Amino acid sequence: MNIFGITINHRTAPIELREALYLSKNETIDLINKLKSDLFTEGFVLSTCNRTEVFGFPQKNLLDYNQLIKILLDFKKVNGLTADNFEKFFSCGAVRHIFSVASGIDSMITGDSQVLAQTKEAFEISEDLNFAGTIMRRIFDFAVKAGKRAIKETAIGEGAVTVSYAAVQVIEKIFSSLEKKSALVIGAGETGEIAAANLKDKGVGKLAISNRTLSKAEALAEKVHGEIVPFQFLKEHIHNFDIILSATSAEGLILNFDDIQKMMRMRKNTPVVLMDIAVPRDIDPEVKKIENVFYHDMDSLKIIVDKNIQKRKNEIPQVKKIIMEELINFFSWYNTLEIVPAIKSLREFFEEIRIDELNKIKHKICEEDFIKLEDMTRRMMGRLLHNPTIKLRELAETGTNIQEVATRSAILKELFNLNNFDNNNNIQNGKS
Amino acid sequence: MNESIYILNILLPVLYLTVLIVYGYDFLNEKRFLYNSKRLFLFLTLLIHLIFLLLRTVEFDHPPITTKFEIFSVLAFAIGFSYFVLELLTDVRGTGAFIILFSLIFQTVSSFFIEHNYIVPEVLRNRLLGLHVISALLGYSGITISAVYGLLFIQLYRNLKENKFGIIFNRLPSLEVLEKLSFKSAVIGFVLLTIAITIGIIWLPQAFPNFSYFDPKLVSTAFVWIIYGAGISAKFLTNWYGKKVIIFSLGGFVAAMVSLVLTTFLSSTFHSFY
Repeated sequence: MNIFGITINHRTAPIELREALYLSKNETIDLINKLKSDLFTEGFVLSTCNRTEVFGFPQKNLLDYNQLIKILLDFKKVNGLTADNFEKFFSCGAVRHIFSVASGIDSMITGDSQVLAQTKEAFEISEDLNFAGTIMRRIFDFAVKAGKRAIKETAIGEGAVTVSYAAVQVIEKIFSSLEKKSALVIGAGETGEIAAANLKDKGVGKLAISNRTLSKAEALAEKVHGEIVPFQFLKEHIHNFDIILSATSAEGLILNFDDIQKMMRMRKNTPVVLMDIAVPRDIDPEVKKIENVFYHDMDSLKIIVDKNIQKRKNEIPQVKKIIMEELINFFSWYNTLEIVPAIKSLREFFEEIRIDELNKIKHKICEEDFIKLEDMTRRMMGRLLHNPTIKLRELAETGTNIQEVATRSAILKELFNLNNFDNNNNIQNGKS
Repeated sequence: MNESIYILNILLPVLYLTVLIVYGYDFLNEKRFLYNSKRLFLFLTLLIHLIFLLLRTVEFDHPPITTKFEIFSVLAFAIGFSYFVLELLTDVRGTGAFIILFSLIFQTVSSFFIEHNYIVPEVLRNRLLGLHVISALLGYSGITISAVYGLLFIQLYRNLKENKFGIIFNRLPSLEVLEKLSFKSAVIGFVLLTIAITIGIIWLPQAFPNFSYFDPKLVSTAFVWIIYGAGISAKFLTNWYGKKVIIFSLGGFVAAMVSLVLTTFLSSTFHSFY
């Protein structure tokens, strides 16, 4: 199989180059049109901020990686990007790589949950642009299947692997449900925004934002349908919240030990979670000594993230096993493509001989005998060809060695001179 | 039938041990295939245990609550059954190993020492005794489960405070759930113990001429009852949370166990019927 392609990812290029090469949906469509006219008969383009993949079947039997890289770099000019920043794949290796991408083990964050959806989307664009033929569609199907199986059958996608999600994981170990809880996010920067969105997604009952610059707090509060706590009155309101997540860029502490102690008295010692994901820290870490105060900072959350990443990495062998199974399934199907025309030719060849011989005696026997003879010869041909047909199919479906299938197919064609038979048939069909 | 009773008596500790291993293995390894099947193991064990108790009732013509080792077996069943119901109601599946351990201990002791030929004194054939013992046993199951969840709460609380994110963090439900389970089990245990004590106070003076309100068994049980009563009242009245309530539960459980051991094996009491 002559599928080939290139990829740029976290192993081959720094984030600036990967981001610079990112293709929007419209750009992807334009690139596919270019590839269709210049290089590939069918293929696909997957582009995210972390990776760009271009794969396809060449129009001519020539695997020109340089031409592919040139098309891509001419299309999206990125300073500093060279051919060395691309990994190259061919045939079985290319299919295996596509399966690895779809199942998340090739991602920078092992088990990335978004990559399967992104792969599906890339496949859909190919389909829409008639850039996906029979083989490419099958590769899509098996890649998606491998990705789904990886998620379902292994723990490759389990556990929080970002600090924001780790914070939510800890909160869920303290409170059974967030629906009746109230949360305050201090800081309306990027981290604060992600944290607020995560809390909102988890269904927190009440969400409030506090920020030194009021307009920023208002903007974020509007986004997450939250309330605003004026920053200057922060300490007077904190006792109203079960979860306080602080992510400001302040130089000093925003909440000290006495503030939290006072807050706990006002809360009648009911539990509170303090997530300090700011660097430098916003809350005095000594507060963790207060009963029912669950204080966590970046360092402690990083412990969870590192553990979960390691856990996911431990699942890679299991995912590779799934990928191998789906590779075998794919190539079992693919190998039948080689043998099916040979079987068809063989059966047509025998059928033609049968009809030819029947025609020779058609007028020498009565119609009743002719029908019996026609029936008998059909059964005879069926029995004669049954075993070779089954054996050839089995060989194609169980073997992964395409060369073996091609050899058997060639022997068969040579023994019965099927190539000439096919050519003659084609000429006759062309004439008619 | 006697033979079946002997076989089941030997089989039950083995079955509880198997259930404990299955729950423990699932807790440590989080194997998906055991997620549902472990519940089936527990159900089958409880079913066999119930058959054992019914067979004994029919064969020996009295409910199995007249000797301490019969009572231990019923207690093992009550703890296992209470946990099973709790697991079905709450779908909290990660804590079974810690509770089944108590069923295993009580059943193993019972299986070793239980007698199969025993003449029951007439006084123990009273219906009120049945109610008294069953409510007391279910009450003890409740406080045992409450104590186990209390211990798990304290363990998870410490892990969260000390940034230890290991197996306890990963496999246990949230602190709030553990606290609720511990408190609700304690309330159920307390109510049932109250029923047992009330029946006891009504029935015991009539049944035993040497009855005394200062009997060690009665005094220690009253002490346990007061501890739970104080803890539950404090929770309702002052909205206590977490460790403060859990300490009452654990204290009550320790007092109950000490009382059980002292009054069963060491002190002399009219409350010893065998």
